[in-house]
Amino acid sequence: MSESGSPTRSRPLKQRNIFGNKGRFGPNMTPMVDVVLVILIFFMAATTIVGQEWFLKADLPEQREETSETNGFTLPTPMLDLELFVERDRVVARGLGPEAIGIDKVIERIEQMDADLSEGLILRIGASDEVPYGAIVAVHDAGNAKKMRVAIR
Amino acid sequence: MMRRRSILNDEGTSSRVNVTPMIDVVMVLIVFYLLVGQLATDRRARIALPSSATGIEETQRTDPIIIGVTIDGTRSLNGDAIELDRLEAQVSGMLARSPGTPVRVRADKDTPHRFVRPVFNVLRDMGVGKIELVTEQRP
Repeated sequence: MSESGSPTRSRPLKQRNIFGNKGRFGPNMTPMVDVVLVILIFFMAATTIVGQEWFLKADLPEQREETSETNGFTLPTPMLDLELFVERDRVVARGLGPEAIGIDKVIERIEQMDADLSEGLILRIGASDEVPYGAIVAVHDAGNAKKMRVAIR
Repeated sequence: MMRRRSILNDEGTSSRVNVTPMIDVVMVLIVFYLLVGQLATDRRARIALPSSATGIEETQRTDPIIIGVTIDGTRSLNGDAIELDRLEAQVSGMLARSPGTPVRVRADKDTPHRFVRPVFNVLRDMGVGKIELVTEQRP
């Protein structure tokens, strides 16, 4: 120890060369750039793998609303009531016309509906036990595209 | 006598390979594989979401209540498996703590409706009149 209390140095303190030994200065950016690139690539990959999600809003009407009640002063709510079920391994729907039709036809007919008619219309979807959830969502999506209010029984 | 090999070269600088960047990159790779694997397992392997051309993107800050239904009828609440008879108590507790929390249903596209309907019925009985059905954006 020196008289001032600081440790003695064996070599004289060299003035720091900001250019270093090889003409560079500042922190080494290479590791940071590596890490940032990897993070970027993985976020991009994760987004692709997982896929973008969003959601459809649906009403869950109470059971008592199933019967369209009206009195002499109010008009019944315009409603398209669809009942999906599985017939011969395909999903069909009853409620558009006298006969049950395939779900593709249902979606097609909803898409062809006049906007004035469909907007604000309540699309109520019911389904039997075996109907896959994807079929319900497909009909819901078609109704949503036509600005219908969708309810699931 | 054989001299021990010096790690310093004639110029006094280290001749060893600098492994620090490699360790950085490898660590980041491991962490991201874990994260992506977890996400992929939760969202992809167990639940294949239906796709939709319309929908609403996430804008709200409040964490929603997420009820999952797999193809075999296994139900989960915010990622944890739950039986149907406990679902009502749990969800109503959550809604009591933070009213207005959105309730989302994440069901597999091939799940038969007999597994999803009871969830809807439970929510309906609780007075949840509006739900959100999670779908994948159709490109």
